[in-house]
Amino acid sequence: MLSHWRQYLAISPFYLVFLAFSFFPVLYSLYLAFQRWDGIGTMHFVGLQEFRFLWKDPVFWLSIRNTLVIWVLSTVPTLAGALVLATLLHSVRRFKGFYRIALYVPNVTSIVAVAIFFGAVFSNNFGLVNAILDTVGISPVPWLSDPWLIKLVIALLMTWMWTGYNMIIYLAGLQTIPKEIYEAAKLDGAGPVRTFLQITMPIMRPIILFTVIISTINGLQSFSEPQILFASEAANPSLGGPGQAGLTTLLYFYQSAFVNNDYGYGAAIVWAFFVLIIVLVLINWRIVQRGRKA
Amino acid sequence: MDLSRRRFLQAAALTAAAAGATAACGGSSGSSGSKDGKDLTLWYWGGALSDKVVAEAKTHFSGQVKLTTSSIGGDFKQKLTTTLAAGAAVPDITGIKGEDIASFLPNGSRFLDLNDLGFKKLSSQYLDWKTKLAQTTDGKQIGFPIDIGPTALYYRADLFDKAGLPSDPAKVAAETKTWDDYYALGAELKKALPGTYLINNLGSVFNIAVGQGTKRFIDENNHFIGDQDHIRAAWDLSIRPYRLGLDGKINDNTHNAALSKGTLTTELGAAWHALDIEQAAPNTKGKWHVSPNPGGPANQGGSYLALPKQCRNPEEAFKIISWILNPANDARGFTDAAIFPACPAAYAMPAMTGPDAFFGGQKIIEIFGPAAEAIPASYEAPADAAVMAPYLTELTNIEAKGKKPDDAWKDAVSQAKQIGQRQGVS
Repeated sequence: MLSHWRQYLAISPFYLVFLAFSFFPVLYSLYLAFQRWDGIGTMHFVGLQEFRFLWKDPVFWLSIRNTLVIWVLSTVPTLAGALVLATLLHSVRRFKGFYRIALYVPNVTSIVAVAIFFGAVFSNNFGLVNAILDTVGISPVPWLSDPWLIKLVIALLMTWMWTGYNMIIYLAGLQTIPKEIYEAAKLDGAGPVRTFLQITMPIMRPIILFTVIISTINGLQSFSEPQILFASEAANPSLGGPGQAGLTTLLYFYQSAFVNNDYGYGAAIVWAFFVLIIVLVLINWRIVQRGRKA
Repeated sequence: MDLSRRRFLQAAALTAAAAGATAACGGSSGSSGSKDGKDLTLWYWGGALSDKVVAEAKTHFSGQVKLTTSSIGGDFKQKLTTTLAAGAAVPDITGIKGEDIASFLPNGSRFLDLNDLGFKKLSSQYLDWKTKLAQTTDGKQIGFPIDIGPTALYYRADLFDKAGLPSDPAKVAAETKTWDDYYALGAELKKALPGTYLINNLGSVFNIAVGQGTKRFIDENNHFIGDQDHIRAAWDLSIRPYRLGLDGKINDNTHNAALSKGTLTTELGAAWHALDIEQAAPNTKGKWHVSPNPGGPANQGGSYLALPKQCRNPEEAFKIISWILNPANDARGFTDAAIFPACPAAYAMPAMTGPDAFFGGQKIIEIFGPAAEAIPASYEAPADAAVMAPYLTELTNIEAKGKKPDDAWKDAVSQAKQIGQRQGVS
């Protein structure tokens, strides 16, 4: 180990920064979850009280439900769409670079700009979508006040942003599959759908697993989308839109800790949520892995 | 800029060393550094102070100290809280928003008592109720009032004319003395102009109705009183427009469009809201007028300047803030940034008494001036804003889902109680 000190020195900055800005705050937030603290004053140790509050807090459970619904509504179309797009793009011969960039651009666009744009497009009274519906004689749809439609709009926004990202990963995976396998399949008389289901999918399994896990982690952490769609203001400090239908768990955490100055409760929320994410990632892992050994 | 590798490494090492050094100093009680420093920093947010006055303050005091100002964007309270908690790079002078001041009071020891520095002599110039909101329970004055937000009724005079109603401010004032009168007027407007609404959303009424009283959600003994009659009355008042069909139910970002298109015939809002309307709907210039808030004025927002304990030159810092906020400069803040002064002496100054073109040449100070002095004083607990949030949420539930108002009330109260409990309210 000592003989390699230069190499360890070279990679040390990442670990030092990680320790100071990621690892320490994580441990500190665990400590905070057992305190009552307003951010500057003295801390009071309250034991498991914050978690007891959490258990009885209907808004916390509402936020969990909201998050899960938004996550399912966005992850499924994102990954399915990404796989289809990647397959299409893989077989395209001309303008490959253009398509790749065009489909990736939503992911690097500022989330704030996208959310403001979606807010304008889906606005209840003066939005583009309702204006178009109006011209064909459909009465306006309350996109940003109906509890389900709010979630749908947020999910759509996330799908729009993340499809291109997953597509690029799938595309990289597709390019590693040797052509000979497809040629052999063709000789055996397999059609495109069969080829896709029986050759592409099994080979892509580890890559799909990766995107499922990343999407689980990203999707459950939705925060900026509802925050910007339903900006709070001094006169109305509640977040998440009408009836808190767009209040995700992280948004609730933000509200508790940073708007209400209740840092201990905020920490309890994120730790409870962390456990939930771990459980969901494990379930996903099992589902995607299943049948692999058979 | 060309940066050689050596220079870069030097700079990096220096920055790291400096960060370590400040962190080390800041760890102490903050008494480090001399108390007659020559460099002072001022934190505020865009629109909190007149930029022109701040720029002049720099030159005005350049003989004594070097004043560096930063306009801090984003969540101001959060940035100030973390900086104070860390104890390093704390500004010598800082703004505190009116809605946040209550949550800073329990930590009054983090700030200097302005009374020690001479605020006592000046305090009579500023509105008493506003000054009191920045006092800790043991009588320390931590905030120097910048501005206030007296509320009034903004209305579209042209639409009133169209509906065959009186549109002159004095006549409108006479017809909207009480909330009942106001709602009755709204019903007439709706009949004459279908598709228009009297109010933006229920929450905006609730906010003002609560502010018109002398009690809020938590009393001085830290007891929850959000389930009592005064809050219930404000609640009932705010759901009436929903029952009468006068509620615009605007809870998304279409408020500006509604103002611009004339969907809203009236707006209840603070003095600073004038600028919002002007920016949202420049095409309606001259069509708006202002008259007193039905049922009396309330206050919304309005900020303070404070001196954190780490202030490196308290005497000079206090001189600077009392200069920036003296009546003449405070009046200029109204012209430059639509911030309504907290010192009544400013209301008589030419900067404020002029006619306002956006409001059809009306002298709006004649409405806001008397309103400012008639605002009822009420105790605002540190957890007040947090406890109020569920009421506003439940009002949107009524609007969006048609939730039964009685169920909404029950849920709001139980949720508010729990939020209070978490923050130590009994």
